[in-house]
Amino acid sequence: MNKILVLILFCIGTFSLQAQTFSVSGTVDEADTGLPLPGVNIIVKNTSNGVVTDFDGNYTINEVSAGDVLVFSYVGFLPQEITVDENQTEINATLKTDSEALEEVVVIGYGTQQRKDITGAVSVVSSETIEELNPIKIEQALQGTAAGVNVTPSSGAPGAGINVNIRGIASNSENGPLILIDGYQGDLNTINPNDIESISILKDAQAAIYGIAGANGVVLVTTKSGKKNTAPTIQYDAYVGMQETSRQLPLLNATEYGLLLNESYANNGQDLPYPNVSEVGRGTDFQDEVFETSPIMSHNLTLNGGSEKVTYSFGVSHLDQEGIIGAEKSDFQRSTARFNIGVDISDEFTFTANSIYTSLNRRSINENGLGSVLFNALNIPPTFGRDQEDLDGRLGNEIINPLSQIENTFNDYNLNKFNGSFSLDYTPIEELTFTSRIGYSLSNSKEKDFAPIIDYGPGKVFNNVRSTVNQNRINDNSYTYDLFGTYENTFNETHHLTGTAGMTVIRDWGDGLYATGYDVPNNSWDFADISLTTGTNDGLNNSAYKYDIRKLSFFGRLQYDFQGKYLVSGMLRRDASTRFGPENRVGYFPSATAGWILSEEDFLEDSNVISFLKLRGSFGILGNDEAGGAEFYRSLLDGEATYVLDGNLVNGTALGRIANPGAGWEEAEKTNIGIDLRLFNNRVDIAADIFREDRKDLLVAGIPVSGIFGGGAPGSGAPTINAGTTRNEGFEFAINYKENFGDDIRVGIGYNATFLRNEVTEVNGTEFLPGGQFGVGQPQPARFQEGFPIGYFYGYKTDGIFQTQEEVDAHPSQESLGAEASPGDIRYVDTNGDGVINVDDRTNIGDPIPTATMGLNLNFNYKNFDFTAYTYASLGNDMVRNYERNQPNVNRHAYYLERWTGPGTSNEVPRVTTGATSNVAFSDFYVEDASYARIQNVQLGYSLPETFLEQVGINRLRVYASVQNLYTFTNYKGFDPSASTGEAIGGGIDYGFYPVPRIFLAGLNLNF
Amino acid sequence: MKRYNNIFKKMLLLLLLAFSFGCSEDYLEKTEEYNIDSENYFNSEEDYYNALIGVYDILQSTYVNVLLGEIASDNTLSGGESANDVIGFQQVDEMSHTPVNDNLDDVWDWNFAGVQRANYVLEFEDKTDFEGRETIIAEVRFLRAYFTFELLKWFGPIPLKDSRFELGDETSIPRASTEDVYAQIESDLQFAIDNLDYTAPQTGRATKGAAMALLGKAHLYQEEFDDAAEVLTELIDNGPYALADFDTLFEQEGENNEESVFEVQYTGEEGAGFDCLQCSEGNVAVGFQGIRNYSGPVFEPGFSFNVPTQEAYDMFSEDDIRRDLSVLDIEAWSAETGATYAEGYKHTGYFNRKYLPRDNDNVGDANLTQPNNYRSIRYADVLLMAAEALNRGGIDDSQARNYLNEVRERAGLDEAEVSGSNLTEAIYDERRKELVGEGHRFFDLVRTGRAADNIEGFTAGKNELFPIPLEEIEFSQGNWEQNPGY
Repeated sequence: MNKILVLILFCIGTFSLQAQTFSVSGTVDEADTGLPLPGVNIIVKNTSNGVVTDFDGNYTINEVSAGDVLVFSYVGFLPQEITVDENQTEINATLKTDSEALEEVVVIGYGTQQRKDITGAVSVVSSETIEELNPIKIEQALQGTAAGVNVTPSSGAPGAGINVNIRGIASNSENGPLILIDGYQGDLNTINPNDIESISILKDAQAAIYGIAGANGVVLVTTKSGKKNTAPTIQYDAYVGMQETSRQLPLLNATEYGLLLNESYANNGQDLPYPNVSEVGRGTDFQDEVFETSPIMSHNLTLNGGSEKVTYSFGVSHLDQEGIIGAEKSDFQRSTARFNIGVDISDEFTFTANSIYTSLNRRSINENGLGSVLFNALNIPPTFGRDQEDLDGRLGNEIINPLSQIENTFNDYNLNKFNGSFSLDYTPIEELTFTSRIGYSLSNSKEKDFAPIIDYGPGKVFNNVRSTVNQNRINDNSYTYDLFGTYENTFNETHHLTGTAGMTVIRDWGDGLYATGYDVPNNSWDFADISLTTGTNDGLNNSAYKYDIRKLSFFGRLQYDFQGKYLVSGMLRRDASTRFGPENRVGYFPSATAGWILSEEDFLEDSNVISFLKLRGSFGILGNDEAGGAEFYRSLLDGEATYVLDGNLVNGTALGRIANPGAGWEEAEKTNIGIDLRLFNNRVDIAADIFREDRKDLLVAGIPVSGIFGGGAPGSGAPTINAGTTRNEGFEFAINYKENFGDDIRVGIGYNATFLRNEVTEVNGTEFLPGGQFGVGQPQPARFQEGFPIGYFYGYKTDGIFQTQEEVDAHPSQESLGAEASPGDIRYVDTNGDGVINVDDRTNIGDPIPTATMGLNLNFNYKNFDFTAYTYASLGNDMVRNYERNQPNVNRHAYYLERWTGPGTSNEVPRVTTGATSNVAFSDFYVEDASYARIQNVQLGYSLPETFLEQVGINRLRVYASVQNLYTFTNYKGFDPSASTGEAIGGGIDYGFYPVPRIFLAGLNLNF
Repeated sequence: MKRYNNIFKKMLLLLLLAFSFGCSEDYLEKTEEYNIDSENYFNSEEDYYNALIGVYDILQSTYVNVLLGEIASDNTLSGGESANDVIGFQQVDEMSHTPVNDNLDDVWDWNFAGVQRANYVLEFEDKTDFEGRETIIAEVRFLRAYFTFELLKWFGPIPLKDSRFELGDETSIPRASTEDVYAQIESDLQFAIDNLDYTAPQTGRATKGAAMALLGKAHLYQEEFDDAAEVLTELIDNGPYALADFDTLFEQEGENNEESVFEVQYTGEEGAGFDCLQCSEGNVAVGFQGIRNYSGPVFEPGFSFNVPTQEAYDMFSEDDIRRDLSVLDIEAWSAETGATYAEGYKHTGYFNRKYLPRDNDNVGDANLTQPNNYRSIRYADVLLMAAEALNRGGIDDSQARNYLNEVRERAGLDEAEVSGSNLTEAIYDERRKELVGEGHRFFDLVRTGRAADNIEGFTAGKNELFPIPLEEIEFSQGNWEQNPGY
């Protein structure tokens, strides 16, 4: 063994002795300005020997032989190759800027396109933006940075899901875009933001190349890879921070609460509950008690590089975030490891492989529901002590002490996931490339939650007399296989043609297993595992499911331009999806785009103002199959089949809800007209689009059909039928301005805005679809109905407060809403003018979809300092205030201090009483304008001077401090105007959303 | 490198080939099943048995046929709490019903649900073979005939299909002819007769006798007296049935006794609610016709629908033991037992005693879960049908009289001695008395052409059939014609 080692060392030694090597050094500068260029990659061609220029553009590269070729490269500049002569020890290079910054290549699905040639509506978010925003989850980087993209967190809890909608909400069911990571189906939820090179968002008919899956828009994620001929670089990014709640609601203190309760009881002729209010003081502030300041930290390590034939990129990361409620009871950890390798096997074959391993851990508390932790914190009276339970049952069945609730919450979720792809490109001739690519995603999750024996007081719904532990294992897999060829050629120097054709096979499959164990030893989380439980229980203690969805697709795309001025493209995709019945499985999705680059025409060519001007338009048919499923076209056997035989109940099997074999996908018709304009030597970059989408064939549940189908049978029901149509129309605008002032100052400003109008244009067979919840036992507040926005709120319109009995008498009776009105009660509008207030007077009182969203983003660099600020605004979105329990003894929001107490005291807030009133009916009193503007991220960075770093062998060291969610401007009374459950019908209802935290971070970026 | 190139080219070619073969549309057919659902069921005897239970289940919702059928007749009035209490019942009582009637809609929907569940099994009848499969299929076909016959009685001819109706059929499959509907009923019942025994494997399941009785009834409705007489006399001669003690016939202990040819089984062991009456395992009709606000012995309270008329009480002679066992005189009962009650709408002083809720510990909502089985086909009914066929068919009056007298004898009455058309009248008369409160009267009057003479508000040429629900006419987009007069 040792001999072999010696031999190898000897061989290497002789090999290295063969050639005479020396060092070369020099300076690299920029051709336009003559300024030195830092960060330029210099590599000896066909080797891995490479260095990077320092801050002054200086470099030294060792072990260079005569005849070697040095390759100088830097992003945004044309690369340069210089051959080293005998004993030439100094080589200076001057790099020219890549005159067309427009040469930027954009991923558009089954290929790339130069930005200037794009004829669809495509937004791009680069790794630079991601770095500046420093998001914990990647979805956050899309908010306010890409026009037409709306991002709403479902909660501020660590690791909570974030909804992304592109150009509004068009479906009554699934509205999330198709996510493709390096071409294969994936999801944004688990990905490490640092692993992403760029994100393309296809917003219009450009996405039709994805056919049946493209209607909600397509997000194309490209992960980082190494670059050829670059020296290995190691980058380490880390931050630590503290998080706190971005908001606490003003609530009544104990004295105010006591006074209000006294008034409320007195108004109903009852004894005063707090005859000595002066003794209660301020009481307990339960918000102070549940919210805490908690830490967050992140580490990220990347190694990139490449030689002539091979590129590589490796990365590992770890994120640890604790919740601002319940600390480690609501936390999130994410660890990832990743590699990306590209190999030029020969001139004809290129192979790429990448894989990402992700591990997530999450614990969570009960949130956004009746009886959730924050709901309880808002409703529990301040007269309660920290450790006091509602043993007298004063607060009804749902409200318990939120601190005990946190203490008795035990759960754990863990996800392990592998995803990645292998791709082989074959280029038999220069113009033709075949790509065979398989992407995969394998994930396994396990979850456990433990419900200890607990008694919060009489009648509480959270009481548990028997300890249980629920466990589940879920396995989700998918692969996406693509096989396609691309032919690109230019004929007669004027006709440029690109043709793409191929096929895609997608399979999603998986299963889940759920089980419950009873009687956990010692009533303790430490022993909470089914393996240790001993109890038995009548009935089924476990369940499982399984799914297998397959898609087979063929597609073709032809892109043509004449002299680079007139651009057209056409796409056609044929999809077959097993989400639909055999007779209705195949769909064709055509689309076309066109563009005209006016700035290439003679009349604009020499313009000093306009650097680039393009008009573009697109039209196409796209589908959304996510709404479909076997449960619609095949009937489940979950009907009731119970009869009496031999005098005993016997259970059999019967058809469930009526199947609709013809159930199909949603079909979107998208039209887009846009303009791209660059002014003043590309310093100002403008893109504007108007668009319209008609989404047809929405699957609507519960459409009445003939009785011959047996829908009247027990456990059966009306089928789900393609019966709805919606329309979204809007306008998008984005402007970016970049300017350098002298050598030291660089400024960038970006602004984008999206205006949307949304309407249900047709629902066949049923008047409306209900959704959401308000209060307890009240009708569902949201509706999907023809002529109204999707998920609009349906309730009573109010007209102030009755000041006097005369006003009450003069107004139509409100008795049918719960009680005859008294002075101090809400006055409802008799919208139909029939002289009585009843359910027929309910009307449109708001909707949760914003009319306009916008982002304003600033960059400012001065010498070694950099500053960025990202802001976001959402206007016209309404929210239902649903965190107030309608119960006589609960605490109240401080706006009740302004309540009606006699004529002229208030025209907004009704009187308080323990008696019956109609004030609790769902009305616009409970609907608030949740428009807001938020300073999402402010970051100040400082890069340490090169001269200092050189001595310790570091290329770059930047330190920064940032604040996320610094401030939110809003009139909304609740915790977080940005939150939503993401439901199309029933979103925007606030049970006490877990607010997004304000995060103070300090971090560093280190390259060497 | 050249060598590698070749290898890669070959590999690529192989890949291409593999996928061009592998990725034909077959790929989409090979999915692992989403679940056990409607299309991959019927893999074992158990599956067939379970699906059969599903068909039987729908029998329980035919309570509405019995209750509303009786209200439609001259035996009873609608009753209830007020003129607006279950408006559909009230309209049928007044013969003012229109195509918009929720309760008639229930009759349509629920009986078609039975047909659909039966057709589901028949669609897969050959999928899996096992010993005893014919028995299950025969029961399914009996049940399909049962529901189809009900639909025919109520609405006239209906659309027919041998498999499940699928969305779209409502606009393409027309209403069949009456003959075709009867032909299907007869062939279903004949299959059941050929494949079932007189005794069922479990109490409550259909038997050969039930199928014969129903076939005889179907022939009688078509006035095919020879066929009716043949199958009914064969049943009387060979079947295991006998008349039972009338005293306990409609009590719990009288359920599934020797007189029971086919009986819809109910229990009070499972709860039910008003949001899904058809989901109840109890006899909803029983609670609905219970005595309003009743408090006293023997009975439980109810909603006082379907109250017998004075005439229905008076038609019995003093010495007819059936009178007080069939129709409860609440004033007399109250005087006797001290029971209290409230008077409802159209109060007559009488209640349908055969199907009053008895004291029992059924679970809530107790009004909807009364356990009284519905005696759908009784041996007395069979005897009277046989008598009618023999007499009206001019086949054998003496045998007809014998059958009639068996029923009269049990009631404590003298033997009838009439013949010819007088015997026909006597049989009609006996039939009404014997079967009062059991839902047969309206259809007996219609099939014998006597409805207009006996039922107030009955319009000949119109009220023989009930209207097809308006929404069904609309769903069919002109495919189904409304019944005459509506």
